[in-house]
Parts: sequence; structure tokens; C-alpha cells
Amino acid sequence: MNTSESSPSFAVAKKNRVPLAEIDVRGAAAARRLGRVHAASAGRRTQASTFNSAL
Amino acid sequence: MAEHAKAHALPSVSVILHGGEPLLAGPARLRRVCEVLTSAFDGVAELDLRIHTNGLQLSPRYLDLFDEFGVRVGISLDGDRAANDRHRRYADGRSSHPLVLKAVELLRQERYRHLDLGLLCTIDIENDPRAVLDALTELDPPLIDFLLPHATWDDPPPRPDGSPTAYADWLLAVFDRWQEQGRPVPVRLFSSVQSTLSGGPSLTESLGLAPTDLVVVETDGQLEQVDSLKSAYEGAAATGFDVFTHTFDEVAAHPGVRARQLGLAGVSETCRRCPVVRSCGGGLYTHRYRSTGPSGAFDNPSVYCADLAAMVRGIEARTAASLAAPEVTEPDELAASQRDLTRMLLARLNADLEGRGGERWAEAWELAAAVEASEEGARGLDEVLAHPYTRTWLLHALEQLHEEPGTVEAAGLLPGYLASAVVRGGLDLSVGVAYTDGRLVLPGLGELRIGAPGEHGTARVRAVEDGFLVRRDEGDPAERRIVRPRTAAPGWRPVRRFAMPGGAPGPVFGLALDDLDPYRDCFAAPAVAGLDDRAAADLVFRLGEAWVLIEARAPERAVEMAGRLTTLTPLSGLAPAEPSVGRHGHGALGIAVDGGAEELAFALLRGFRRAELRALVDVTDLYAADGSWEHRIPWQEEPVPFSRLLADTYERMALGAFEPRCLEGVPQALDTLEGAAELTVSGKRLLDRMRKEI
Repeated sequence: MNTSESSPSFAVAKKNRVPLAEIDVRGAAAARRLGRVHAASAGRRTQASTFNSAL
Repeated sequence: MAEHAKAHALPSVSVILHGGEPLLAGPARLRRVCEVLTSAFDGVAELDLRIHTNGLQLSPRYLDLFDEFGVRVGISLDGDRAANDRHRRYADGRSSHPLVLKAVELLRQERYRHLDLGLLCTIDIENDPRAVLDALTELDPPLIDFLLPHATWDDPPPRPDGSPTAYADWLLAVFDRWQEQGRPVPVRLFSSVQSTLSGGPSLTESLGLAPTDLVVVETDGQLEQVDSLKSAYEGAAATGFDVFTHTFDEVAAHPGVRARQLGLAGVSETCRRCPVVRSCGGGLYTHRYRSTGPSGAFDNPSVYCADLAAMVRGIEARTAASLAAPEVTEPDELAASQRDLTRMLLARLNADLEGRGGERWAEAWELAAAVEASEEGARGLDEVLAHPYTRTWLLHALEQLHEEPGTVEAAGLLPGYLASAVVRGGLDLSVGVAYTDGRLVLPGLGELRIGAPGEHGTARVRAVEDGFLVRRDEGDPAERRIVRPRTAAPGWRPVRRFAMPGGAPGPVFGLALDDLDPYRDCFAAPAVAGLDDRAAADLVFRLGEAWVLIEARAPERAVEMAGRLTTLTPLSGLAPAEPSVGRHGHGALGIAVDGGAEELAFALLRGFRRAELRALVDVTDLYAADGSWEHRIPWQEEPVPFSRLLADTYERMALGAFEPRCLEGVPQALDTLEGAAELTVSGKRLLDRMRKEI
């Protein structure tokens, strides 16, 4: 059977769909996204050097 | 340094060999430095070793050494030849430009390219900004940064045309050229402003409120504050400490270092009241220095204050449209981001399990991939993940794993969610689902009694054309067939669904009355146990009456709610007109069971606004540094943080349709929100939307 409750948003999700196994969950962007709802997933922020006089 | 890293369990430490000109130390001495550092940090922390040079001496001899120790190299270059020669000539007047270009070229060679950090350009506004950027980007560096020349209130920067924003104008001309070029390379200064405008951290100590975590180790072992402070006055960088007798913790406690770690409390009073302070952070500490006047030496705005404000505003004006989160104005984007977030939580659970979920999890994870491999399966899985309490389950599973490593009980519920997806998608897959207390739960669909209370085990769930089949792995071998899963059947309790009445055009607004989901108890007030049919019918009737009121008095809100509110859960101990938003995904709302139509209408309106704002905050940064400032709120005495002012204003605007008094003070509140430093570009877009609503 099919109890589909598809909404217009499905089209948006599908367009950018990354398979579950390939979702980046450890990078800085992921930490920021996850950290909004689960603080422990944000982890300890390692900041790149901010020294003004060098890169 | 290694002792400090070990004591504080630092994951990494950056060591930047800096000058003067560090290559003057020569290859042998630099080798010794690299060896000592590498060995000291071995097994303690990741060592991020860098060197910054004018490039004049850079040769394969040095670069081979740097390659051996992973030392990455930044080069100072002020732009084209005319720009570079303005300040970087040999004593006899010869241009150093060709040699710097040669160094850059060498560093760009395939064998050294991985060591290339990029180019650092000190601004001179006499130079042509477009020509400077062109010269830098032509060299294809991985990163560029621009430095304001060191200056203080005692020794202000040159402003040949007298403009108070000459440096901002110069940098914005660079920015415009950079945009024209298609942003071929990141520019740290611009990235930092864009990051802070969006609610992220600053990326350089010259901007933003992030604590400065830098210390300078001089070649004689003295520990100093950052080198730029020397431009303020003789001895400004001194701490009186050295590596032989002091620890880095002692330097960190030095008042001069502490002052640059205080965030908002570390900037001047003028800066604390300024709406761009999150982005500029009062500017580089050195640039605030003034030897005279009522304020302390560094307790001033930057001598570049007008430039920094104009630059931040200028970059904001040029980029706000692309930086602002589309979720704020596009409900479909919000729904998609919410779904992506839940998917990411599921993927993160898999990663955090690190194999501890055993064969059972591995099988379920493989099955998840199989489910989403087909379009029907992906849709079914999306529907299950969009169920608000699936988020609650995932957060609980992650927390359980973090708090008690090895505890995978909650994670073990994944097959139930997959079975629900398989049934929704009508997939020909069999899923083994654990049942407890004689009940098998298919999240978002319902609950099947397949055994006596207290019984537990595993059952196979399989979709069929008109419903699904369930058979226990042990005990009673009989197969249960559930047809039309939205309809109750003996032993099968579906999640109740009902349609709101009313004459709005478009699809019927259907809602779930979820008093069944095991994870629905995620509100401040407790969820009620399952309602009996009569109580449920009564509540649905009153909700229908409430909906008629909303459609009549706030039709535009009714349209919004019809697409986005999906799930109502009855709670106990709530005032009839008081809704609750809990720790769940987009679309759910907790309501009292005993309210009248008017009270329920009020609760739905208020709750929907609260839930929408929460959903936005879950996936975007509408504000940053919340709680750093207190704001006057027109409808109460005590000042509140930004988040509270925003939430209250957002709710009151919607409630005006039922209670006109709620709109009193809203215009003033919007003005306060608009002038607040916490607001990000996405927050401003929300504010624009709110202004259009009134």
C-alpha cells in the first residue's frame, strides 16, 4: 500500500538528496547544523589561526 | 607549548614562525626548530606549523625543508609592482617585486603547492585597489588577506583626501572587483565579515568578538602579546614573562591578554552600543590605543571605526540577498532543511555508533540505504523522518549514546521507522521489528497488539497492496493483515487523523492527533495517555470550531497553518489557551485537551507561530550572541534577551486578530529588534517579513 503524504517540499528535498551513507556529519558545516539542535554534536570548536599578521 | 596543549587537551596548536623575516634564521636553525616542535607535539596535539615571509630568500632549499616538516608558507605582497615598491624596496632603492613573484611562482610549483597558504597584503590607499586585487588574484593563491596599516588615535592613518571612510571605500572597491571576478579566491577579511553577518565566528583577530588565543614567543624566550601592539607604544606587548620561568596559563591570565578575551565586555562602551560590533569587534586591539583622554589606553573605538562600520555595512548591502537563509521566506525550503537536518541526525547516529550497534544496526543501516534507493522508498522514508517525533527519537538516541557510551537501546528502534517507511512506500521488503509489552509500533502510523502484555520479541513487517502483514518470529505463527492502516481494526490503533472543516480553497487541511507516539512526551507539560474515542472526537469537534474562527478572523494565518502544521499532541497541565512547543521536528504542537473553541484557536495561532520560529532557529541563525545585551520590551518591566523579544513580538503579531491589545507596542519592538547587534542577515530578512505583516 502507499500512504503517501507528499507535499511540495518533497521536490526540494529530492533535488539535493545525498544518500544517507554519504552525508558529511563530521565537518565544520555539519557541526554547525547539528549543534543548533544537539549541542554535543557541535563538538569542540577548533579555530583556524586568527593571527592578524600572518595567514 | 606541548605541556600547555597536554594540560588543556588541545586538539591542535598553530605555531607561526614570524618576524621580522624568519628565513634569516637560515635552513639549519629552522630545521632544528621544526625538529624540536614536531617531536614535542608528537602524540600530544596536532601541530599546525606555518611560516610567514616576505619571500625574498625563499628557495627550494627552504621549501624542501618545509615539505619535510609540513610547514605551510604565507607570503607578504602588497599588490602590483607599483604597490609593492611603495614600501618594499631594498635599502639601495631596488624593487623587491620580481623576487617576491619568483618566490610565489616557486611555491606554486606542483611539488610545493600543498604548502601554499596565500598572500597577505598591507593596504595603502594610494594604490589602485582594482590593480592590487588583479595582481594578487593573477597569482592564483589559495587565500588572500588585507591588513589595515597599523595606526592609533595618537598616530592616525593617512587620509590623503580627508575622507573618514577612505579605507572602507578602498576595501569595498576591492570587494566589487572581487565580485566582478567571480570571487576566484577567498579573502579572509571578507569571509570574516560574511561569517559574522550570518551569525558565525570571526576569522581574524582584527575583527569580531571572538577571544584572542595568541601569544608571541620572542627568540630570546620572552612571552609577549601580539606583535602589532608594539605600534601602540614602546613596551605595549610586554608581559614580563618568559618561557623559562612561566607557563602559558600565566600569560593567559595577564590583564593585557585577558582584555582581548572578554568579547563584548572587552570593547569600549561606544562599541557595546553599536549594531555592527559583532562583525567589527571594535577592530584590532592596537588600533584602539589613545595615550590621553578619559578612557583607558585601549578603551576606545578603533581609529578605523568609521571605516569598519562602512565596510561591514557595505559588504552587507552587497551580499545580504545571497547570505540570508531562504528558509525564512520559503516554507518549502524550511521543510526541506528540517528534513535534511533529521537525515543528518540519523547519519550522525550511525557515525557515533562506531560499530557498537552490532549486526542489528548494520543490517538496519543497510536496509535504510535499500529503502531510499527507490523513489517510493525515499518518499516513504522522508515521510517518516518528517514526522516531528522522529527527531525526538534521534536526539534521545544520540544523547543516550553520548551519556552512556555503549548504550544503543534507543538506536535499536531504527527498524520500526524503516518498517513504517516500507509500508508508506509500499515496498516489497521485509523488516524485522522488535516489539515490547506485546505491542509493535510503526511510528507515525500506529500500534499493533501482537502479543500479551509483557511479551517481547521480533516480528516481520511487509507491505502489501492494501496495507501490511505482520508475523512474529517466534510463538504464534499466524500472520496479521492490516488493510487500510488509517482505519482502526481489532488490535490495530492507528494514529488518528482528521480534516479541518472550512471553505478555504485548495487541499483539505489534514492533521494527526498523535496521542500514541512513544517519543511524543517531549514537551514541558506531560503528554496525556491515549485518548478514548469519545474524548478524541470531542477534541476534534472543538478543534474544528477553533479552525472556523481562525479562518474567519485570521485567514492568512489559516493558509500558512494548513500547509505546515501536521501534528497535535494532547498535553495535561496546560492552560486551555496556552500551547507548547517541545523538542521535536517541524510541524508538531502540544495543546490542552479541555479548551473551548476560542481558547483552542488562540492556542493554535500562538503555538503555530512559536513552532515556526523554533523551526527556523533549528536550521538558520536569525541572531547571534543572544543574551549579551538586554532589551526593553514594551509590554513588561524587566528587560529581556533578544531571542525573547523576537519570540514575543512574533507571537503577538499573530494574536492581534483575536486580541487587538496584543499589537500594542509591536512597532516599538520591531524598531528595537531592527537596531540590535544580535540580528543576522537572515534575522533581518525575517524582520522585513514581519514588517510586511503589520
